[in-house]
Amino acid sequence: MKEKIINIISEIASDSGWEIVANITDDTVLLESGLDSLGFAILVARLEEELLYDPFSMMDEPVYPRTLGEFVGIYERYCV
Amino acid sequence: MNGEVLAEVLRSFSGDHQVVLTQSAILSVDQLLKNAEDLYRRSSVTSKSRIALYGLPPVDFITSLVAFDGKVEEMLLLPASLDEAATLRLVESAGCTHYMNAVNIVEVSREQEECRFSEAESESEATQWLLATSGTTGRPKLIGHTLASLSRSVKRDIEKGRGFVWGLLYDPSRFAGIQVVLQALLSGSLLLVAESVDFELQIEWFVQNQVNALSATPSLWRKLLMDGRIKACRLQQITLGGEIADQHILDGLKRQFSGARIVHIYASTEAGTAFSVHDGRAGFPAIWIHNKIAPLPLSIRGDRHLLVKPLLLPEGHEIVQRLDSDGYLDTEDMVRVEGDRVIFLGRASGAINVGGNKVPPEYIENRIREVNGVHDVRVFGKKSSIIGQIVAAEIVPHSGWEAKRLRGEILHYCRLNMESWQTPGIITFVDELNENPAGKRERLT
Repeated sequence: MKEKIINIISEIASDSGWEIVANITDDTVLLESGLDSLGFAILVARLEEELLYDPFSMMDEPVYPRTLGEFVGIYERYCV
Repeated sequence: MNGEVLAEVLRSFSGDHQVVLTQSAILSVDQLLKNAEDLYRRSSVTSKSRIALYGLPPVDFITSLVAFDGKVEEMLLLPASLDEAATLRLVESAGCTHYMNAVNIVEVSREQEECRFSEAESESEATQWLLATSGTTGRPKLIGHTLASLSRSVKRDIEKGRGFVWGLLYDPSRFAGIQVVLQALLSGSLLLVAESVDFELQIEWFVQNQVNALSATPSLWRKLLMDGRIKACRLQQITLGGEIADQHILDGLKRQFSGARIVHIYASTEAGTAFSVHDGRAGFPAIWIHNKIAPLPLSIRGDRHLLVKPLLLPEGHEIVQRLDSDGYLDTEDMVRVEGDRVIFLGRASGAINVGGNKVPPEYIENRIREVNGVHDVRVFGKKSSIIGQIVAAEIVPHSGWEAKRLRGEILHYCRLNMESWQTPGIITFVDELNENPAGKRERLT
């Protein structure tokens, strides 16, 4: 899952001409990775196309992840 | 001049009361009034002047409002984000006699003075505040407000107001930004104004000064929660506007700031603030439709357009042409009744709202058609749990074009010719596009 997410982040950055940090780890803060909130929204939309779910629209209690690790954790938790 | 005047309202507060705080200055009421007076003297405007305020730093902009409200016939409030062509067109159509930017104030030529903005032939003598719409249909239009129409929904409880420290996240020359400025000024609150539009620096400034009242779009609130630093502030007032506020963001804010009053407002440059909802639920109560208990008369037309009848409407033909025979204004927002709530579906025009930025799909379609290899295209808003909507495009390629290569060409073209929020985030390739029975492109997702 993590690999898939990092690949899509790289794709979006390349599509949009955004520079992202070279080494993305679990502790990378998403808003400091080079993606802004639009990039983050595109990431969630692209993942929905691939995985067929958007955990952020499924949550009873909304969570807004700060780091990549938290983001991946959310996708794993809602994986069907 | 008739009616309330901004400088007069400020004079009713104690002179040493602090009103605006920036990284480099603290402005008391006395200081703000003095700066405004100096600016007025320097400007050579008269009661017949029409002054354009363009791209001013926020504190200068606020000073200008205080300097010129009640003193001139009209203030044209132009955001710095407008391009030069749009700015010139609006300055000309408003018949401005003066033009003020971050550098100086100039008197524009008499030829232009002859070209009057007919909508400003107002019956009222209060200074007109002309606002540019955000341009859902492509070209921004001018809407004539007054201090009275803009401050109608501002809370004037000074006892409570004193306890609030407002942070300004919006451009103050836009409707939502003016609301924050007036709310802070008219209720005796302190307004925090960051000297940079950089998100990082703004938040740092707000946290450092313990902001406790903020107004932002739902998308910006999601970003604030993701960033996390705002959680260090004890927010008491949370306002959402400019986009549809969904239940997730309302719940997320409630959970994080349990002591805060959370309000989502329904407003537009054209209609002003129509109503606000405080019950923590998305949409608004269905019982308000055709009911006297509603904050203002509301109706839903057969085609699901929400109609409102504001108590005080801006002037001008832009507004008049959208009124029906009963005086209701077509908001051009589409709604649906779900149980006891009325839920917003999006713009009737299909305009896509990307974090508060309005994108006309036809405009994007026309641009993408210019790309070699594109046979046809449909652009629509894809619902986003993060930013409201993002732009999505379905492409019919010319035969012989490989999808991956064409995708690269389209994105390259968009990157060079469009804002990032106008560029499709999702692109799919199809053999043909479906039209609805009326032959129109389906744009709601």
